Parts: sequence; C-alpha cells; structure tokens
Amino acid sequence: MLRSEKRSLVRFLVIYLLSTLLLFSLASWIFYTSSKQHLLSQQKQMLKYTSKKLENRLRKLHKSHEDTLLYPNYKQIQTAIYDIDKHYIFGTYPKAHTFDATQKGILYEKRKVEPYYLGAAYILVAKPINEAPIVNLKKNILFFMLIAGLVFSVLGYYLGRLFVAPMRESLNRMNQFIQDTTHELNTPISTILTNIEMIEALNTEHQNAKELKRIEIASKTLSRIYDDLSYLNLNHHYHRKIETIDFSALTEERIAYFSSMAKAKDIKIVRHIVEGVQVEMDKNDALRLIDNLCSNAIKYNKHHGTLEVILNHETLVISDTGIGIKKEDLKHILQRFNRANKSEGGFGIGLHIVSAVCENYGFELEMYSEINEGTEVRVRWEK
Amino acid sequence: MGKIVLVWALLLGVFAYSDGLESRCLACHKAQQIPNDLIYRRYLLKYSSAKNIENAIYRYLKNPQKEHSIMPPQFFLKFPMKEKRSMDERTLRQSIEQFIQKFDIKKKLVLEKRSH
Repeated sequence: MLRSEKRSLVRFLVIYLLSTLLLFSLASWIFYTSSKQHLLSQQKQMLKYTSKKLENRLRKLHKSHEDTLLYPNYKQIQTAIYDIDKHYIFGTYPKAHTFDATQKGILYEKRKVEPYYLGAAYILVAKPINEAPIVNLKKNILFFMLIAGLVFSVLGYYLGRLFVAPMRESLNRMNQFIQDTTHELNTPISTILTNIEMIEALNTEHQNAKELKRIEIASKTLSRIYDDLSYLNLNHHYHRKIETIDFSALTEERIAYFSSMAKAKDIKIVRHIVEGVQVEMDKNDALRLIDNLCSNAIKYNKHHGTLEVILNHETLVISDTGIGIKKEDLKHILQRFNRANKSEGGFGIGLHIVSAVCENYGFELEMYSEINEGTEVRVRWEK
Repeated sequence: MGKIVLVWALLLGVFAYSDGLESRCLACHKAQQIPNDLIYRRYLLKYSSAKNIENAIYRYLKNPQKEHSIMPPQFFLKFPMKEKRSMDERTLRQSIEQFIQKFDIKKKLVLEKRSH
C-alpha cells in the first residue's frame, strides 16, 4: 500500500470512527439515562407501596387503645412520620431525622397525608439505591459499545479500502504505463546512443556538428529519464549490491557525461572535488543521486549560469544559479510527481529519487533556495 | 443536706405540677367518665402538632360551645357541656400543656421487631 493511500485510509478511518463513536456515545448516554430513570422509578414504586402500607398501619394504631403502639419496622427501609410543622414524631431512624434532609445514594418517598393519624401529616420512606441493576446496565452498554466499536472498525476498514480503490487503480495504471513505456524506450535509446558514439568515433569531421550534439543531449536526457523510471518501478524488487564506491571518480565521470548538456546552455561548471571520497552504497543508487542533482541543476539553470559541485568527506553540494524554488513549494518538492516549475519537461520524480536514496542510506538531505538566485542541495553522508 | 432539700423540693414541684392538672381538670373528667384519650386522639387527627392542638383546646376552653368542640354533637347527648371556668391565663395554658404531655402519643409508640 502506498504512503498516500495509507494516509487517506487512516484519515477516513479516524473521521469515520470518531463520528461513529460520538453518535454511539450520545445514543448510549440517552439510553443509559432513560433506563436508569426507569430502574429508579421501579425502586421508587416499592417505596410508594411501603408508604401506603405505613399509612394504613398508622390508621389502625390511631384507633388502638393498647398501652403500647407498635410502629412498623420494614426490612432495609427507613420510615418516619412528621407533624404538620414537619417536626419529627417517630420513625425507624436512630435519631430524629429532618424531613427535608437528603443524602446521596438514598431514594426518598415523601408524602403529605390527611387525616393526621397519630398526628402524622407527612410520611417519609427511604432506602439506599440498589446499585446492582445500574452497574449491570453500565456493563451492558460498555459491552455493546465495545462490540459496536469492533464491528464498525472492521466495516470502516473495508469501506476505506473500497473508497481508496479508485486511487490505487489509477496509480497502478500509471505505474503500468511507466513500466510499459520504459520497456519500449529502452531499445531505441540504446540504439541512438550507440550509433552517435560510433559516428563520433569513426567520422571525426562530424564531431563538432551542432545537430549531432543536440541528438546526443536529447538521447542522454531520454536515457536518464528511462533510468529514473526504471529505478522507481523496480525500487522494491531491485537487489542492491552495497560496495565501496570511489565517489570522487564517479562524480567526475557524471560531470563529464553532463558536460555536453551544460555546454548547450553555456553553463560554467565549477568543481571542488576532493580526491578519494569513498561511500558505501549501491552504484546505481549513487548514479541516480548524482545524475538527478546535476540534471536538475542544468535544467533549471539560466543561460550562462554556473553549476558548482563540491565533494568532500562530509558532504556533496550541488548548487546552481537558476530560477530557484518558492519556499512553500520546498515542503512538497520531495514528493513523487511533484514539480515546482512546470515550464521545463519532466515527471517530477528526480528529487523524489534523491530523497529515497538519502533515506535508504541515512544521508541527511538539505535544500536551500531563493527565487531567481538559485538552489543548493546538500547531502551529508552521516546524520 | 442542701442537696437533699433541693431534690425533695424538685420532687414536690413535679408532683404539684401534675397534681394541678389532676385536681383542676381530670378529677372532674374522671367523675363524668369523659374519655380523655379519645378526645386527645381527635385533636391529634385534626390538628397534628402540639402547638395547633394547644391553640384549639385553648379556643374551646375560652368559649366552650358545641361549635368549638372537637367532639361530635352526639357526644354532648351523653356528656354535659363544659361550663366556662374562670382560670387565669397562665394556669389555663399550663393545664393544656400538661394535658397534651400526659396523653402524648409518642410515649406509647414502640418500634416493632423487624419481621416484614
């Protein structure tokens, strides 16, 4: 899965799951509140029933002429009676209990009664809230949320895959197109380049012919594009051979390779190459790194501009005096198929390859650019 | 010695206090077989609090008529209407308080053994 595809999928999943979670939380909260109310009203029903029972009992006691009047004592329920001024008369509380006092976690049923049997104008019935069914309700809702979360995560993942499928399809199509194109380009480019070399070698009078030079430059550009596209396509399947490369010699060789292109734009090449710089890496990777940086420095340079190459044991610096890159474009310039300037040809893959090579080998890549001043790319061998 | 005198004085005071109600009111009630407990319960049923009962009895005693009584009209067929008595305000209030205290229902109420 490509990085952009992954990013889109993750974003979709985050939005989808968060909105689903929000919706489910809201629904669960409403359900919990109403269910809790229902459970509490069920418990309160029992208190109401007890309150009625107590009132009947008070009526009987009021008519009794026994020396002692037995006040009912219900299991797990506290009761008390109050006169019209809400003064405590009697109850199951160990101490006189204030009528209006309430305590957290206790369910109350307070009722005014008339006539006032035994002087009782108010009846208070209370019991601790039975938390067990409420805890059970919470557990069930949590379990439901977990199951729903799991189901919606799986569903979201498949939906996300479904949504990014067209993107994946077009990327695959593009990759397939590049693969086919590069395959078809390989033979004619090789033929052109070989024949130009043969003409140059055999017919010395044609060596300076402008037309021949132009063909050579165009063919080299095509060859480089072919190499870049092949590199991109085979990047994951290509077996790298890590070896000690004489980077100084390779840089000189590639500068010579690009000299005809530079000459065509009257670009002056300034080199400060320390001899014997050795880097442990795959040769093809090294070629792609130098070629892309040199090619960009020539392509986006001005006529009569300068291309400066500095190589030492710490860094490789390639700078030009070209059109430069806007600051806001610098952030995205390393992305695949991204081009800051569309006036020149290309696919926008050069700097992406440079960035990929640096990332593979742990090189530090820095870019500095000023519009109409030029661009400097700095590759530091060790971070 | 002083303490003994004080205790005796208090006991005599309490006796005189309850004896006052007995001599001023209940002796006559007893002679006429007036059901004090029943009367008190009727007051309780209608007025609920001690303060309200006290005021209701006071109103009746100040003007003893059938209309002011808590008892039903049939009650006066069996028992004679009380005569208005010239009792000073303080003694009257005190006697009513004693009456309420004597027949107070709270004294009789006992918590049942938990069985329900």
